Amino acid sequence: MAKGKRWARMLAGMTVVALVGAACGDDTNRGDGPSGLTGSITISGSSTVQPISTAVAELFNETNPDVEIAVDGPGTGDGFELFCKGEVDLADASRAIEEDEATACADGGIEYTELEVALDGITVMVNSASPIGCLTTADLYAIFGPESDGIDSTTQANTLSQEVGGSGDMPAQDLEVTAPGEESGTYDAFIDLAGIEDMAIENGVAEDDAPALRGDYTSSPNDNVIIQAMEGSPNAIGFVGFAFAEEAGDTVKEVEVDGGDGCIAPTAETIADGSYPLSRSLFIYPNTSTAADSEGLKAYVDFYLTEEGLVNAVELAKYIPLPAERQDATRSAWESAVS
Amino acid sequence: MSAIAPAASRSTVELALRGQRHDVRGRIFSAALLLTLLVSLAVLIVLLGSVLAEAWPVLGSRGLGFLGDNLSQFDSRAGVRQGVIGSLILITFVALIAVPLGIGAALYLQEYARDTRLNRALIANIRNLAGVPSIVYGIFGVVVFAQTLRSVTGPESSGLSYISGGLTLSVLVMPFMIIITMEALRAVPRGIREAAYGVGATRWEVVRSHVLPYAAPGLFTGAILALARAFGETAPLLLVGAVTGYLTPGGSGNLLETLQGRYTALPTIIFNWSRQPGEVWGHLTAAAIVVLLAVILVVNLVAIVLRNRYERKW
Repeated sequence: MAKGKRWARMLAGMTVVALVGAACGDDTNRGDGPSGLTGSITISGSSTVQPISTAVAELFNETNPDVEIAVDGPGTGDGFELFCKGEVDLADASRAIEEDEATACADGGIEYTELEVALDGITVMVNSASPIGCLTTADLYAIFGPESDGIDSTTQANTLSQEVGGSGDMPAQDLEVTAPGEESGTYDAFIDLAGIEDMAIENGVAEDDAPALRGDYTSSPNDNVIIQAMEGSPNAIGFVGFAFAEEAGDTVKEVEVDGGDGCIAPTAETIADGSYPLSRSLFIYPNTSTAADSEGLKAYVDFYLTEEGLVNAVELAKYIPLPAERQDATRSAWESAVS
Repeated sequence: MSAIAPAASRSTVELALRGQRHDVRGRIFSAALLLTLLVSLAVLIVLLGSVLAEAWPVLGSRGLGFLGDNLSQFDSRAGVRQGVIGSLILITFVALIAVPLGIGAALYLQEYARDTRLNRALIANIRNLAGVPSIVYGIFGVVVFAQTLRSVTGPESSGLSYISGGLTLSVLVMPFMIIITMEALRAVPRGIREAAYGVGATRWEVVRSHVLPYAAPGLFTGAILALARAFGETAPLLLVGAVTGYLTPGGSGNLLETLQGRYTALPTIIFNWSRQPGEVWGHLTAAAIVVLLAVILVVNLVAIVLRNRYERKW
């Protein structure tokens, strides 16, 4: 008998852990929030946009505690896949929706509106000991592009840079490339913004291989790891999201980029006015038919588009707010979509 | 017939057998073993030390407040409360599902099943399953628990619920649990079984009163390792819907609704914070790692105390 009791006691112990856990899950004061809004909102998509949607959700919950919100960030492509199957109410995206994704949404009967919510830049970085100060898009092609396999110094890269129309006058330095991998939205955005694909096709690269980076660099999905690589070697070069570069210490430096109009440093101003070549828009895609039925989702997006969302939450997430007139354009796009 | 001299000790015997030669190889070997121990310890200490130092700015200033705060984009008030609760609920699933099922399956295979070719193939397969990368179990969890069984696991949450996560982790550690339990059962001396059969005990009585109690410490060790492994898993949880960004604090009413709702887990929070920009998030990440290690330590301690209590009675 004694043994049976002991087994029972052990089981009881485990159950207590379970129940304490479950009980803790319920202990927040509920009841009617000031707004009386209820319901649930699921958000998925870009891990870049996730911090903005998270900040907005948190601020929104302060006045609407009974609207349950879950924000996830598996990536823009994964987000659209779930969104077009109707499994999430809003997709975060660090690029505009692509044709096949739009088709999938149409097939799934999902109606949506594209809302531009913030701006982000991609910053090219080197170690602070590096002589590199400014790179043209042709130089970027020569260092990162699909034809740069095996290039491990600027001397070699200068030749390729001249081939694609650059001046090829980078100061002499060895190169160790670390950058985001293919799975990252930053990878796609860099290829797009630096014009890698066009230069590659013009230089005779097969169309399928053109929208890609070199195959022989060190890749990481985590921008903090890439910055550590820049800190670790005087020869390191790579690119990361603007917010990560701004937060990095003095052992790394940001490189200016010349997109044809002179060298421009990545700053909040140059990204906001579009003069910095490697700047991109961040979007949200709310499901408009859900928003018509669910007051919670509509209220959330309304709140997203106030000053609190488009300025405060965007700055909290360390991105760059849209210029005032583009904020207004986003608001009117949403109004006409839900009215 | 003279007895061995009473003063004979290990050293005098060694001296008599070897003469004055020193046991050089033996000393080198023991020094080498000590070195391997020190190297493993040094790695561990450096790791722990750097994580603690990195975590100190958060733990030192916020202390237990860090445990009580929810997910947040404000680095000053981001905390691990939801992650700790989520992970504890998830391993409760493992403790209630994978542990008993694993022990049962192992008992059958070790004590009841005949040694046929089929059964040997079965055991080989279970061993293979224990080595399958966890992401594969994540994919299994999405297809079976989150999609096929959605009406049970979470009709309101696309099946991305505690139930799906807990079941996925249970399936993940089950082969591991079976293998470890089988090892523990195999370590029970034959003599104990034979003695019990010899006095007329049935197979049920042998297993119930002799094999299981004797193997219990081993079973507990297996269960501890299984729970700790489940606690630290990240990849499969990302697939079956552990939230990375934000989750409104507070449950959805009753227990069933909570279990069918979205959740987050401690390793998922660590994963997410480590990819946020800025030094403060680095400190928060380290602090969350310290909490993860501390919780695993507590789980292990509880289980070890239970195991030792049980062991003494035998």
